[in-house]
Amino acid sequence: MSFHLQSETKKIAKITLTGEIDSLSAREFQKEIEKLAAESPDELVLFVENLTFMSSAGLRVLIFAKQKIGTNLAIFIVKPQESIVDTLEKTGLQHSVNIVDQYL
Amino acid sequence: MERKTFPGILDSLEDIRQVVKEESQRVKLSKKATYNLLLAVDEIATNIIVHGYEETGTQGTVDLIIEHTDGQLSVILEDDATPFDPLKRELPKEDFFSMPLEERPIGGMGIHLTINGVDEFRYEFVNHRNRNIFIMKTDG
Repeated sequence: MSFHLQSETKKIAKITLTGEIDSLSAREFQKEIEKLAAESPDELVLFVENLTFMSSAGLRVLIFAKQKIGTNLAIFIVKPQESIVDTLEKTGLQHSVNIVDQYL
Repeated sequence: MERKTFPGILDSLEDIRQVVKEESQRVKLSKKATYNLLLAVDEIATNIIVHGYEETGTQGTVDLIIEHTDGQLSVILEDDATPFDPLKRELPKEDFFSMPLEERPIGGMGIHLTINGVDEFRYEFVNHRNRNIFIMKTDG
């Protein structure tokens, strides 16, 4: 039996978001995504446990990330507060992202 | 009735939310209803500032008026930008929400969240000013 080894390296981008995302702070969030896009990550992990507010401007940055980085980009949203999950659900975005309690 | 005037810039959004939050808590609106109201007010205030002022190269103010009477909390935003009825804007069609993220047109989500977040949303053009009205039912 011949030995076989397959190795794979995923490129993971991690961002921690705290406080509030409105149209003003979303501009900063979008700039960060633009920077990350150059690295073509496979996964974008957003730690949002202490994010207390997100308007549609924040949702548009998520859409922007998919459009900029590519459809294969997997977005993980780690520990979102209930109100933010609610917003993702109301706009149907929960189908396009992975809402998780922890990212391993 | 109290009127507070804010400069029509994005830096004002946080201050506007803060005032609405304090009033909502004072009249004991639930946590969820408060959040939805804050989101609705933020979305419309953003539209006024970005589309009404920034993109047209004009400067102006956003007035915030809050009233609590007869079991309802009314939040009113008034501005001097070009007349704009957010309800006349085309709402996202049903298939929008099942569309994959990468195929979605940008826009329309803000007004969707506004209308779905409050008990009543109205637009009026009075005395040459845009007036956006958000109403939440309260217990008292």
